[in-house]
Amino acid sequence: MMDFLKIPIYKALLAVAILFSISGQVHCQKIVRYDLSVNDTTVNFTGTPKRAIAVNGQIPMPTLTFTEGDTAEIYVHNELDEETSLHWHGLFLPNKYDGVPNLTQMPIKPHTTHLYRFAIIQNGTHWYHSHTELQEQIGMYGSMILNKKKEPAILTVPVILSEWTDMNPHNVHRMLHNANDWFAIKKGATQSYSEAISQGYFKTKVGNEFKRMTAMDVSDVYYDRFLINGKNESQLSQFKPGDKVRLRISNGGASTYFWLTYAGGKMTVVANDGNDVEPVEVDRLIIAVSETYDVIVTIPAVKPGSTPTAYEFLATSEDRTKSASLYLGEGVKQLASPLPRLKYFEGMKMMNGMMKMNGDLDDMGMNMSLNQMDMNVVMYPEITGASKSKKKETNNATAMGNMKMDDPGKAGENEHADYNMYISNALSSITTLNYAMLKSPGNTSLPKNAPVKELRFVLTGNMNRYVWSMDNKVVSERDKILIKKGENVRMVIYNNSMMRHPMHLHGHDFRVLNGQGVNAPLKNIIDIMPMETDTLEFAATESGDWFFHCHILYHMMSGMGAVFSYENSPANPEIPNTRLAQRKLFADDRQFHFMAENDIATNGNDGEAMIQNTRWSIGTEWRLGYNDHHGYEVETHLGRYIGKMQWLMPFIGFDWRYRKMEMGEVETNHFGQRNTKDKRSILSAGVNYMLPMLVTAQAEIFTDGNLRFQLERMDIPVSKRLRMNLMVNTDKEYMAALRYIFTRYVGATAHYDSDMGFGVGLTLNY
Amino acid sequence: MATLLLLPTFISCADIRNVTTENVKIAGSCSQCKEGIEAAAFEKNISKASWDKETKVAAVTFDSKKTSLDAILKKVALAGYDNTSYLAPDDAYAKLEECCRYERTGKNEVVVQMKMSAHEHGATAMDTAANAVSANADPLKPVLDAYYAVKDALVSSDGNATSVKAASLVKALKAVKMDELGSEQHMVWMKVVKDLNFDAEHIEETKDLSHQKDHFSSLSENMYKLIKSAKPSQAVYYQHCPMAKEGKGANWLSQVSAIKNPYYGAQMLNCGKTTEILK
Repeated sequence: MMDFLKIPIYKALLAVAILFSISGQVHCQKIVRYDLSVNDTTVNFTGTPKRAIAVNGQIPMPTLTFTEGDTAEIYVHNELDEETSLHWHGLFLPNKYDGVPNLTQMPIKPHTTHLYRFAIIQNGTHWYHSHTELQEQIGMYGSMILNKKKEPAILTVPVILSEWTDMNPHNVHRMLHNANDWFAIKKGATQSYSEAISQGYFKTKVGNEFKRMTAMDVSDVYYDRFLINGKNESQLSQFKPGDKVRLRISNGGASTYFWLTYAGGKMTVVANDGNDVEPVEVDRLIIAVSETYDVIVTIPAVKPGSTPTAYEFLATSEDRTKSASLYLGEGVKQLASPLPRLKYFEGMKMMNGMMKMNGDLDDMGMNMSLNQMDMNVVMYPEITGASKSKKKETNNATAMGNMKMDDPGKAGENEHADYNMYISNALSSITTLNYAMLKSPGNTSLPKNAPVKELRFVLTGNMNRYVWSMDNKVVSERDKILIKKGENVRMVIYNNSMMRHPMHLHGHDFRVLNGQGVNAPLKNIIDIMPMETDTLEFAATESGDWFFHCHILYHMMSGMGAVFSYENSPANPEIPNTRLAQRKLFADDRQFHFMAENDIATNGNDGEAMIQNTRWSIGTEWRLGYNDHHGYEVETHLGRYIGKMQWLMPFIGFDWRYRKMEMGEVETNHFGQRNTKDKRSILSAGVNYMLPMLVTAQAEIFTDGNLRFQLERMDIPVSKRLRMNLMVNTDKEYMAALRYIFTRYVGATAHYDSDMGFGVGLTLNY
Repeated sequence: MATLLLLPTFISCADIRNVTTENVKIAGSCSQCKEGIEAAAFEKNISKASWDKETKVAAVTFDSKKTSLDAILKKVALAGYDNTSYLAPDDAYAKLEECCRYERTGKNEVVVQMKMSAHEHGATAMDTAANAVSANADPLKPVLDAYYAVKDALVSSDGNATSVKAASLVKALKAVKMDELGSEQHMVWMKVVKDLNFDAEHIEETKDLSHQKDHFSSLSENMYKLIKSAKPSQAVYYQHCPMAKEGKGANWLSQVSAIKNPYYGAQMLNCGKTTEILK
């Protein structure tokens, strides 16, 4: 009896002992603690002191280093007078520590401390940034290095790229939404009619406007400085000739893609988005916003006894306006070749070819994907040659013609040549990295037999109104996308907008189906160029709500994203009030943007003010003469934009006018209706429609039965800084104006108006 | 009022303020270099330079509040002129006028890189020894490398660079020690050396791409004969484009299997196929 008892007890004791030893090991995990104090600061990158946000007194934020298996304890002390948050980009962690305010946690209130505590269960190059409003733009980005338990022995430096603008980012955002072309002026990318004519692209420009497109560009914002590790130029002189150095590069820029080149030869790409890839040698690569790459460069060896040379690692913004340099090694600095300026009109020509009249893009059956075919190569002088002379072209044309005649069987090959005219690596001896070249060293295939959920997304957008969305829905207009733990989620994403978008999924790595079979690379950001279709898949293994969004900060804030939500997830303790959180989350893309313009002229004062958001617009126009005969009028419209391209806007309006007529003077319109301009205060309903050539057609009916039809074209880019406005309507009113832009807010206008006559004046705009 | 407003602008137009002047050595050779250097260093009201052809020293004058000597020297280097702080990118140097191709003493001769990538061979020390032997075994390697450089310059349709690279090919051809060649290769060498030199020199002399390509085509035929006569140390791809030379077709040698057509450059770069692999 006793014996029978003893044995089980003994066994139980043993089991408990084993359990203890295991949990003992768990507790032995190293806890790595960081204290991050977020403070307001003043920086001076350009000669003018500006406000920025520093963490522990520095920009970029300090590099956080962990080893796989550590537990991270990060205390965020918010010393700002505003809310903040930190997102650990590319990390696998419990949903409540993902750092998206109003989705996975409530914002960190001013002067409070918040703890992020999670196990480090992966390795690789990552980074972290604020996910609150536009804070990332003004300093809140930093490297996050997760080492393997056994890192390879190689010299390593973290490198974080970013950009700086002296403008308040909220103002940048507002100007983007008001289609202000100040940034194009600063970049020299206005693409005006006079420039088009002088470079022989008049037809291209007309075609472009006919398809309702404004000047094309590869980036939205003008930046004053580009930075590597917070500096425009810096040198790491600790490296010696012959050294191999691994650069762990993160792109912490808010909206800038960077070209990376190196003066000391080829670069070997060994990891992407924190995941190792088979080494691949390239001459250059473009790093999308928020991507990371590990790149090995060699400082060329020198003959013994000779002095060493430093080699430039050059990061050039995609629009090629400026660059940042990091010199590796000591001594005289060998420069890399700067990237030549873009051939914008070639790009415009290319866009014309791809754009259908309804605003959709047409890839002409090229099935583009994975950045292999880059339509922008037509703009790259280093690939497609500097702007060619006419003579050369005709020679080639005849040569090609001859060949066709000589051998009709070769026609197929010619077609191939057309097809290949966008494949950068086929066009030149410069090897540019693309996603098809990334190959995972291991098998990354997903669990077999798991149910597959297929999701299709179309990236949509409208540059004129700066509305960016998925399936023409912004975050606040879309339900959460439900996924189930245990299924394999496959996403097929097509970019039908005119800009490229770096799409980022929180908390997961996805496989990019790129033709490498079971070795498909793992990523958490994928850059999708216009007209490209990419297929991604991931195993749904988590729980909670994960944000999937475009990582261009201003696109995200405009609502380009969606929330992936695991069905039946436990409630998130960090979100006590889900309705409040959702309302605050949606507030980002529901925000209204204000613009105003006023011309103080010799013949009167006229102007407009507007507030607009994704779908709604409230605008007021006024014309105030200096005497009763010139009259005073104010027109107010409240409208809603319809459709993906937002060309159509029905509205209701209110019209108030006062104008003293001469005795017996009566104004009639083209319909023979009388106009009561002398004192009128009436309601109206109407519709705006954007015609080809960017002409706004407006039909409006007033409560007194009067009808008005109007055509208006604003801001025709005559030259770099000269804009023309034209207007005519059935009330026999017309207007023509020329405006010269001096600065962001000030211009001079000369105009003729049928009511007020000729005038010149000073234009103020905001 | 108007004059009052204009006056200060007029004064500021006239000169550089906060003047600092420094003398600095900048490489160059002729009066065209002088123009190039001074133009690169010039920025209205901010900086200017005066370069002396004999001493190679430039007196750089600049507004120390608006710019720095370093920033100016960077611009000078980007225009193609090596100096004490910066070395010009190779393509900027290649774009200089011929008279201005000064000798690049400031630039370290990069020790010949092992073409074999490092991850294929772990033990570097042993490789160096092995490499030295194989370098002896293949005395034509410098010629082949120089030829590839000419080809790559043609691929990028850069007549200037092609001419520069052809100059190194001429040098490499002159440096070949015939007694190191195998007997069969020696025979071929004797046959083709004159033509090789002839074509290489002509490519060097001109910057006209179509002329260069004509010579490159016959150069390639002779290179093919030469390389085929002995086993090259690395695979050489013999490639053919049927459309080159207005439909007559032409060949070239390449170090990689991927087609990068030197005859069509940017227009139809991947026309062609590999017809033979020499190894």
